[in-house]
Formats: sequence, C-alpha cells, structure tokens
Amino acid sequence: MVYIVSWDEFVEQSVQLFRASPQTTRYVMKYRHSDGKLVLKVTDDKQCLKFKTDQAQDAKKMEKLNNIFFTLMARGPETDITEVTGKEQTVQPPKRGRGRKQ
Amino acid sequence: MVRLLLDPFLNELTSMFEHTTEKGSVWVTLKHSSDKSKVQRNKITSAGKELEYKCLVRATDGKKNISTLVGAKDHQRFQASYATILKARMTSLKKREKKDKRKAVDAVDKKVSKAAKPMDVDKKPQSSVKRA
Repeated sequence: MVYIVSWDEFVEQSVQLFRASPQTTRYVMKYRHSDGKLVLKVTDDKQCLKFKTDQAQDAKKMEKLNNIFFTLMARGPETDITEVTGKEQTVQPPKRGRGRKQ
Repeated sequence: MVRLLLDPFLNELTSMFEHTTEKGSVWVTLKHSSDKSKVQRNKITSAGKELEYKCLVRATDGKKNISTLVGAKDHQRFQASYATILKARMTSLKKREKKDKRKAVDAVDKKVSKAAKPMDVDKKPQSSVKRA
C-alpha cells in the first residue's frame, strides 16, 4: 500500500473510511524509537490508508487524529467531530473577545 | 490479550515504550467495538436491543499484548493521559526539517548570523558599490 503524503488528505480519508465501515475499521499507530519512525494506518481490511513520518511536528498532528478517533469510536460514528478537530474553536475565541471589548 | 483497566493500561504502555527504546516497536490499535461475541451480538440485536459500543484499545511490543476498553465517559480523560505519554516517549522524532519552510529558513539564518555575521558581509559589497 502506498503511503499518503498529505496529512489533511490522510485525516479526511481515514474518517470517511471509519464512517463507511465503523464495525471493521481499525486505527493502528506504530512507533519505532530506535529509528525514530512513526507509521499510522487506518484499514477496514479492504482499503488501507497509511501515513509515515519521522517528524516531531507530525506527532502533534497525530494527537488531534487520536482525539478524533477516540471520540468517534467511544461515542459512535455519527458523532460530530467539529469540536474535536479544533477548526471551529480557533475561530470562535477571537469573536468572543471582540464582543466583550465592545 | 490481557484486559486491563484504564490506568494500569497506561502504566503498562509506558513501560512498553521504555523497553523498546533500543530496539523494537510499539503498536497501538484503536477499534470501535461492542466487546461481545458474535452469538451475544445476535442475541442482543434479535431481542431488539441496541449494542453498546466502546473504543477498544490494544497495545503490543511484539511480545506482550494488553488491551482496555474506553467508554464515552472516560475517553476525554484517557485521551489526555495517552497524549501525555506519547509526548513524553516519542522523543526520537526529528524536531524540524524542510517541510516547515519558514522555520527552516529562520534556523539557517540564525546559524549563519552566528557563524559568519552576514550583516557585515552584506554591508561591505553595498558600500563598495556606492563608492564605485
């Protein structure tokens, strides 16, 4: 299986895959300290998505993906993950701040 | 596969990371699971009840397998502790490289300024141009 290069693409496709087949999809993280390598895999045994990195900054991104998957898997595939992805949260605080100042 | 409670699982996971610093890998798998056998699942669904799903977390270093179940109530707390462990243990990843161009350029500039003082180098040719 070919590794996906773009992180955003990997996240989008893996969430889609899980939502399409929540019963069979698993999310695997493999970490090899001696080589400093991190491989993420999402598969439903039919389709396989992989992402490989040796960058510490990608580990930070992975934290968000972990968050997404913990939420989806513990609460069910229909759960709204916009809160978890933090995309909306980054927009909201400045708005609130302006409101208070006025 | 040993089923553990959340905190013992995290402790065991930490020791797996410690054991594999020189060689070996750690795998952590997350799966959406009802933790029931096929027969049990059929019984519940045929009785018209809904299955309760949790997040099954499995970890292995190739020798030992551990697992735990994270429910909707615990997932935020567990996720936070899990993230802390990963941050503390994933220390062999590279800090920065080409990917982040701005930061990389900054880093190079700093190195150059320390080593050769490019400001002076820049000024000299400029002044010579003015004189000419």
